[in-house]
Formats: sequence, C-alpha cells, structure tokens
Amino acid sequence: MSITISSKPTSIVHKKKRVNARNIQYFLLLLPPLVFFIVAMIIPLIMGIYNSFTDWDGISLEKNWIGFTNYIEIFKDEMFIESFKFTGLFMIFNTIIQNVAAFFFAVMLDSSIKAKNFYRTIIFAPVLLSPILVGQIWTKMYGTILPSINDLFALSINFNLFSSPNTVLTGLLVANNWQWIGYWMLIYLAGLQAVPKDIYEACTVDGGNWWQKFIHITIPMLGPSITICTIGIATGSLKVYELIVASTGGGPGDSSKSTIMHIYDTAFMSQQSSYASAMSVVFLLVLLIFAFIQLKVLRKREVEL
Amino acid sequence: MSKKYTKGTFLIQSIVSVIVIFYLLPFLVVFLYAFKSPQEIIGSSPFSLPEKLELVNFTQAFEALNFFQSFGNTFFITASAVLLLILLSGMAAYSIVRGGNKFFNGTYMFFIAGIMIPYQVIFVPMFVLGSNLGFINNLFGVIFLYVGTSLPFAIFVMAGFMKTIPKEIEEAAFIDGCSIMRTFWIIVLPMLKPVAAALTIILSLQIWNDYLLPQLFLSDNSMKTLTVMQSTLFSAFETNFNVGFAGIILSSLPILILFLFMQKHFVKGITMGSGK
Repeated sequence: MSITISSKPTSIVHKKKRVNARNIQYFLLLLPPLVFFIVAMIIPLIMGIYNSFTDWDGISLEKNWIGFTNYIEIFKDEMFIESFKFTGLFMIFNTIIQNVAAFFFAVMLDSSIKAKNFYRTIIFAPVLLSPILVGQIWTKMYGTILPSINDLFALSINFNLFSSPNTVLTGLLVANNWQWIGYWMLIYLAGLQAVPKDIYEACTVDGGNWWQKFIHITIPMLGPSITICTIGIATGSLKVYELIVASTGGGPGDSSKSTIMHIYDTAFMSQQSSYASAMSVVFLLVLLIFAFIQLKVLRKREVEL
Repeated sequence: MSKKYTKGTFLIQSIVSVIVIFYLLPFLVVFLYAFKSPQEIIGSSPFSLPEKLELVNFTQAFEALNFFQSFGNTFFITASAVLLLILLSGMAAYSIVRGGNKFFNGTYMFFIAGIMIPYQVIFVPMFVLGSNLGFINNLFGVIFLYVGTSLPFAIFVMAGFMKTIPKEIEEAAFIDGCSIMRTFWIIVLPMLKPVAAALTIILSLQIWNDYLLPQLFLSDNSMKTLTVMQSTLFSAFETNFNVGFAGIILSSLPILILFLFMQKHFVKGITMGSGK
C-alpha cells in the first residue's frame, strides 16, 4: 500500500497491468458458475422460445416452423384460459390473505405476550413440509377426519371442500395459507425488530395511542417488508403445482387445474411439446410484467410513505 | 411495545393461542393416525389417543417408501447441490464484487435476471435438453439442474454479503504474492461462513422438498426421492391410510430435526434470503 501512495506515476502503469492480470483470474472464477447457469436456464429458455414457433411433439425428428400458430391457438384454448383464471384467483386471494395474516401474526408476536418462541415455532412448522405432504394432509383432513367430527357431534358442516368445484379454491387456499403464513410472518417480524424503539417512545410522549402508533409508525416502517412479501407471495402462488397434484389432481373436473399443471399435461400427456412451450413463454411474460408492475407500484408507495 | 402484561396483552395472548390450536390440528391428526391401528380409524374420534402405539404403520411405510434408498437419494442430491451452490455462488460473487468493472456488473445483471424465471416455467425445454445430455435417471443431472437454476438467487444473496467484507485483508494477501484463486480459498471463503449457513438452510429446504424435477428425471425406482415416493403412498394404501401418515412423518422427520437444532439459522436464512 505504501508503495502505491509514494510513487504515483509508475504505480498507475503497474496497477493497470496488474488489474488486467487480475481480471483474467476473476473471470476464471466466474466461468464455472456461468456454465451451470447458461446450460440449466439460458439454453432451455432459448430452446423453449424457438420450439414455441414450431410444431414439434417432443419426440419425433420432424420439426416445422409454423410461426405464431401456437400463440394464436393459446387464446382459443379454453383450458388454458380456465387454468389461467384459476391461477389468477388463487394468486389474488393468497396475496391478500397471506400478507394480512402474516402481518398481524407478526405484530401480535412482537407484543409482550408469553411463550412467543413456542407460538412462532408452531406457526412456522408447516413451512418445513413439502407441498406434496401438505396436499395429502389436507385431502385427508377434508375427506375423512373433519367429516367424522360431524358424526360425533351430529353436525352437518360441509368439510368436504375438495369435492365440489365451488369450494375447491377455498380448500386449497386454507391448505396453502396454513403452510406459508409462517414464512412471511418471519420476514415481517424481522422488519418489526428493525424499527427503532425510540420512535414509539416519542409517539407516546406526544400522546399517541396504540392505534396511531400502528398507522403512523408500524405500517410505514414495514414498507420494504410489504414489498418483499407481496411479490414473493404473488410469484409463489402463480407457479403452484405440487400442492394441487397431491390433493385435488386438478379436479373435480378441471376446476382446480393450475397453469403449470396444464402446461405439464400438454407437454407430457398429450405430447404437444411446442404448444406447451408457447404457453410457457406467455406465462413467463405475464409473470415478468406482473413482477415489474408490482415493483414499480410498491416502491412508489414506499417513497410516498 | 409496552413491557407490562396488560388486559390488551391478555387479549392478544388468547387470540394467538386459538390460532396456534388451529395450526396444531393437522399435525396432531398426522401423529395420532400414524400410531393408530387400521381398525381404530373407523368408529373412534379422530382426536382420541391410539389404544396402543402401533408401529406396524411405520414399518409398512418404511418399506413402501424404500426408505433407505430414497432417503439416501434425497440426501445425496440435496447435500451435493447445496455444497456446489455455496462454492459456485461464492466464486461468482467474489469475482463480480471485486472485479467491479462493466463486464462483471453486466454478468451480475445477467445472473440476477434469472431470479425472475422460476424453473417451473422452463421445465419443458429443460427436460428436452436434459434428455439429450443424459440427465434422465442420473442423480448428477438433477444436481446440475438444481445448481444452475438456484444460482441466481444464491449469487444475489452472496454478492450482497460480499460487499460488506472489507478489501484490506485480501489486499494484504496480494502484496504477499497470493494469487486471486488462493486468496479466495484461504481468505474469502472462510469469511463467507455466516451467509453460507443461511443459504445452506434455505436451499436445503427447497431442494429437499422439491418434487417436479425428480419426478420428471428420475423414473427408475432406485433413483426416486422421498417426495416422489411419498406422493403415491396414500393411493397405494387406500384403506389403511395410517401408513400414509406414518410416511409423512418419516419423510419430513430429517428436516424437522434439522430445524429443531438450527432454529436460529433458519430465521436468519429466511430473512437474509428475502433480499433485504
């Protein structure tokens, strides 16, 4: 260090050479991760986009360029539109329920109640399970276990939420929220713990009650956490697949088929690989546009607050 | 907020207790049913205690899951992928942050764009490419794909941490004639421990519980993972579904034990992973 300071002119030349030699070494370190990333994600992405303009079935050698035919087909495909509607509804309800519940759970667990750690552990525990297990647990809950409570107490509550197209969304929302609220709650809890305590004290001195503190301090200070959770929940819900595979299987009928599930079936059951790729491209575009808008809107809100 | 235990606090305590009881119900059912005999399913209340601890369900689930094999596969895939991910994301983050010129910044943006693309959206061409590369029924192929698809997120977290590490120690090593590779191995990598611990947990959780990739690529019985084996357990044991519940306990037990021992790291991993 001392050399570079004392002899400026020569050291700059030296430094430049050294930097170039260093950059090659840095690049060599960067190369292996780049290979993994490009092979696993970028090449499939490009292949998917290319295939979406062909009529390839995924197996045969025949592959013809058909332009936008697949894309035009998508907008006539009722199953795609239905699955997209279902996925959209699933996402909207999830985003609202999970955000609000996680937020309030976090606020409640940040108060001075006892046994906080115990509560937190229990609410977080479902996060550890695979969505496959969660789907199986709730299928049995709705189908066998909760109905037997009816028998015991001679009640007639309709617990069998997966058996009707009208209630299947509710059933899946309960299962999905049971699993994930604890995850987002942790992020809100971390956000709450980062709020400086003296702001609350200042508010108390100025005669503010708990409600004013909540509205004017807690919510604005959690702005960044709200952004993270909203985007995380929304994108997580859009790619729902495993939970549904293990519970309703897309049924009854096709009433709970998610977009990813429809893409899977199209590619591997009905052997329309190129068409499935086109659907993936459309779905990816929707996902990106959506994430972009959310980021813009939520970041803007953060600044305003 | 306030330190005293007031009426308000008691109200909150009651609300949270009710919520937690709702949360516990499914767990309770899983545990009770896993120990009940098939005869006890019918007739008795779902919340009654099992008459005696029935371990037959577990031995049956153990066999049906092909437990040692599928556990071994899941463990091998998860451990290898996570180890590689830590190493590779550390390498990338180090060169991106320290390289610091336009090329490295551009590469960083290239990686980060990958966070926006969930692998569930590109799995169709991924399967096509994978089958050409011989990834079908190949544990290493699945590991490769997990590493490649999770790298953007891992690099994002690593680079964020890397920026907080002071340069001085490395500079001292350079002056002593240490190459960049050596500096990375000997000096930088050990300093990444906290972020590596957090990443290990969050990535293990994701890969351990994943279903779509192994389901697509590993169809050979000796290659199947726990989630794939578990997914058919309830349909295989339709009448004595207690076996399915025992299977749920068996296949989630390892991650639950890990959680109990490393709870603090889990919390840290998730808040770090959320990208703040």
